[in-house]
Amino acid sequence: MVDVNTPRTSRAAGYLMLLPAVAVIALLVIVPMVVIARDSFAVSDPLGGNLGGFTLDNYAKLLDPVYAKTLGYSLGMAALNAVVCTVVGYIVAHYIATRPAKTQPVLLVLVIIPFLTDFLVRTFAWITLLGSGGPFISLLRLVGVDAPSLVPSQLAVTLSLLYAFLPVAVFPIYASMRSIDPSLKEAAADLGAGWWQTHARIFVPLSASGLASSVMLTFVPTLGVFVIPVLLGGGKDPLVGNLIVTLFTEFRNEPLGAALSMVVLVLMLLSVAAAGLILRARSNRKAGAV
Amino acid sequence: MERLNSWIARLVFVFLYLPIAALIVYSFNSSEVSYRFDGFTFRWYAELFRDQMLLESLRTSALVGVIAAVLATVIGFLSAFALVRFRVKGRAFFVGAILIPLIVPEIVLGVSLLTVFSSAGLPTGIVTLVLGHVVITLPLATLVLMGAMSSLDPSLSEAATDLGASPWVTFRRVLFPLLRPSILAAFLLSFTTSFSNIVISTFTAGVGTTTLPLRIYSTLRTGLTPELNALGTLLVVATLGVILLVGVAQMRRILAGPRP
Repeated sequence: MVDVNTPRTSRAAGYLMLLPAVAVIALLVIVPMVVIARDSFAVSDPLGGNLGGFTLDNYAKLLDPVYAKTLGYSLGMAALNAVVCTVVGYIVAHYIATRPAKTQPVLLVLVIIPFLTDFLVRTFAWITLLGSGGPFISLLRLVGVDAPSLVPSQLAVTLSLLYAFLPVAVFPIYASMRSIDPSLKEAAADLGAGWWQTHARIFVPLSASGLASSVMLTFVPTLGVFVIPVLLGGGKDPLVGNLIVTLFTEFRNEPLGAALSMVVLVLMLLSVAAAGLILRARSNRKAGAV
Repeated sequence: MERLNSWIARLVFVFLYLPIAALIVYSFNSSEVSYRFDGFTFRWYAELFRDQMLLESLRTSALVGVIAAVLATVIGFLSAFALVRFRVKGRAFFVGAILIPLIVPEIVLGVSLLTVFSSAGLPTGIVTLVLGHVVITLPLATLVLMGAMSSLDPSLSEAATDLGASPWVTFRRVLFPLLRPSILAAFLLSFTTSFSNIVISTFTAGVGTTTLPLRIYSTLRTGLTPELNALGTLLVVATLGVILLVGVAQMRRILAGPRP
């Protein structure tokens, strides 16, 4: 894989080959994030224009009830979605990982198909499913329940958030579960461990890296969703993502939008750091035990 | 308990396919006023191909998708090759840098790109869309190709070198043919990601460069139409095509890591 005697020239060639990627990341990721970090401290005129200078007003404004309410609601929804996705993802990943080797790829593809299907299609399919006259409402009529359309509703938002993020939770948990030695489960059973003990003492700890990735990949990203609250929630309960889109594209209040974006970014960095710490603590303990 | 879990897992698979099934069934529904199923028709598929605005946005998305995916695959290939086959110092640093877009929430990437493009005086359009889409597809393409390159048997290229092949000939005759399926996978995944992107496109598309997801979104804001169910069905079929082209084994390695 790696040539031990790589001459100096090919190492230089290696750096040259990395140049385009480094340019993309530097110019289109790092520089824009530095600019937006700077803008989040800029003074804005009454119309939201960027006047430069330095102020903490934008962050202070986020504590206004109007914004704080959306932030609080979004954090609640994101936490709920992360927990539900991770728990359901754990059940599904465990189910797939314990099937015969030939069935596993088939089941995994069944998770991949909805995952790769266009995000908007996956979202509006819920309108078809739960909307007025759709199969769900018709079915309720059939059994004598006269329900109105379930779109827009909080339930539709919650279900489609789960639908959008579930595959992202399943993949890392499955990946970490695949490396668990199946004989551990047999040994636990031989030693008389029940279902609960087997999971609490073997499967959950040994798939901790997958579970941490799952939470990391579902929690903060849920905050940034803006399509689902509009299409399935009727726009009544916006998420942070909706607020950012509105601030940038309608109100043109860049400094305030930048401050809100920085909050999302910092939350993501914190969750990455937390996941990293959990994993390091685990691997240290493992190393200590051996 | 184990059986209860298995049943929950099976129900989740039903949950994953209920919306897709509804989408497909209702795309053939002849009723136009409500979603109530009235009879079978191909009408919505025919109307789809008469919708000029939709076809225009389809062209935009295809163009942006192809350019962005080619760029991401080429740049990703170069990076993966440098990281896996050459002993560049600071390998972890470069890998980490290329993966940053996977960690930064997409909406933050989107607004920061918009801010920079507008302050650089770059008008939003095809160019800004492509740049934005390269950012989010580059990590995917690089990861796919790095995975493929590290699982290649090193003795193959050693054998070629021992038999007197130059590095270029070794690359062209041995490595490239072996990597071809992964290059295709990197391209297809990048294209799919770009084609279905809505977040980055919201901030980088300009007047006259509305992508397909942006068009669908603006149509949906006034209500779901039967044509959209037909379009969604076609996109589900296209997804199946992509998965078949990439191959199930390779797909699994990409999303769930190599066999432990």
